[in-house]
Amino acid sequence: MKKYVSKAVMYIVVFGVCFLLILPVLTMFGTSLKTKTAAMRDLGMFPSFSEIYLGNYIRVLQTDSYVRSIVNSAFVSIAAMIFCVIAAAFAGYAISRFKGKIFTGFIGLMLVLQMLPTMLTLLPMFMIYKQLRLNNTHAGLIIAYISGSLTFAIWLLKGFFDSVPRELEESGLIDGCTRFQAFLKIILPISKPGLATVSIFTFVRSWNEYMVARIMIQSDELKTVNLALQKFVQENLVDWSLLSAGAVITTVPTLFFLLFAQKHLVQGLTAGAVKG
Amino acid sequence: MLLPALVIILVIQIYPFLSGVRMSLTNYNLLKPGKEKFIGLQNYAELLTEDKTFFGALGFSFLYGVSIVIFSYILGLLIAALLNMKMKGRGIYRAVVLMPWVIAPMVMAANWLWLLNDQFGLINHVLVSLGILKKPILFLTTKYMTRFTVIMIGVWKNLPFMTITLLAGMQGISSDLYEAARIDGAGKIQNFFYITLPCLRSVSKVSVTLLLIWAFNGFENIFLLTEGGPNGYTMVLPIYAYNLAFFRSRMGYASAASVMMLLCMVILTLINQKFSREAE
Repeated sequence: MKKYVSKAVMYIVVFGVCFLLILPVLTMFGTSLKTKTAAMRDLGMFPSFSEIYLGNYIRVLQTDSYVRSIVNSAFVSIAAMIFCVIAAAFAGYAISRFKGKIFTGFIGLMLVLQMLPTMLTLLPMFMIYKQLRLNNTHAGLIIAYISGSLTFAIWLLKGFFDSVPRELEESGLIDGCTRFQAFLKIILPISKPGLATVSIFTFVRSWNEYMVARIMIQSDELKTVNLALQKFVQENLVDWSLLSAGAVITTVPTLFFLLFAQKHLVQGLTAGAVKG
Repeated sequence: MLLPALVIILVIQIYPFLSGVRMSLTNYNLLKPGKEKFIGLQNYAELLTEDKTFFGALGFSFLYGVSIVIFSYILGLLIAALLNMKMKGRGIYRAVVLMPWVIAPMVMAANWLWLLNDQFGLINHVLVSLGILKKPILFLTTKYMTRFTVIMIGVWKNLPFMTITLLAGMQGISSDLYEAARIDGAGKIQNFFYITLPCLRSVSKVSVTLLLIWAFNGFENIFLLTEGGPNGYTMVLPIYAYNLAFFRSRMGYASAASVMMLLCMVILTLINQKFSREAE
């Protein structure tokens, strides 16, 4: 009997914690299914089944500037993701396998870089971008996002490579392939889960980034999804149900990330953080 | 193989960092390009002697960063211990707990503003209709309430990272230790304090340091909720530097404020390292 009571208490506490953590997400979803007037009148979290209204989603998807911002964000995030993962895979492999002053120095440098306030590099970058005419371009944003995610990506991948036994590539080396071939043909295919996690991690980071985009992007047609959503909020301040629909659409890609990467992310963080 | 990453880091982080430090020694102004002069440490002197807003922002930045780390650590430890128990559907709960971390900052801000609204917000509505409150709380108006609210939302945002890293650490603890403790007759609470906590030391060190840096550096959380207002109550250094650079066009001065931020961060990290070393 006592065992059942403690089990029940455990589940109640878990449900309570989860509920509190996703409360804003739940209300957002609920509100997006209401009409504008229902959102003001009916303060319950979800509308009753017969009152579900999908018009908000249709209106959001008909707003050209919003749809364009989703395309922009997808383009910028995917480009940043590809370059970042390639650079991080090489660097992560190098610091995981080779020993020497350069490599320990590099690890130290990465830790120090974590400390740099973003604002401190962003202000000069704004000036440099102005001179190079990278200001207000997607290319500039992509470059900034690559460097923003790079150190953490290297860190995560180093953890993954550390857990791949050395014997695997050593057997490849004996069979006559070069270090580089061993890396491409043996290590990378095994590390697919790690690469996937890091890719999605970089993607979400860029997708959610706000400050750099706010400083670097001025034209409406180049805006990323956070900026567009902010403009959308300012323009439709009273229409909360419409705003919620916009917010839900913005969140969908990151929810895919959660479903897919939750398990690998825990492993990746263990590998990176536990070994320090 | 290190080369591509090294080039990116040198070009996009080290070079801007150095030119930022150089810029902090000039009176560079966005509105008067080409007229900047080297003025030595004058910006720093102004920051440290005349600028009251700077000290206000510095103080709240410390308060914000440190309280987020403390609250997230305690709550994260409890939630991680909970999620480490045997139960059905653990994967789902873990995904749910991660959710605040992957939500776009603008989505987060818009939703909290909606939830905390004094007329239509769910939180006030529930508290008033249950009779707990007589009238709605104005979450983002008075000094202490606003500060409390942005800190709590910061905790909500950063808790998942803490929980997941601590959980990952807990899963790395060998079950032999608990088995041995059980034979010696230790209870669950003793287990937690004498096995779990000591084994989590290295994970805690890394995650506390990272979160401290991220929270102290955080911009969009407060910027999107209050823009540092009302009346500068929630002004933190990144927002202050941003305002200096882009509203008052004082790039040199803003860079000096950012360099001060870096110094504070180094001091915070060193203090944190010292504490965790003494604990060992």
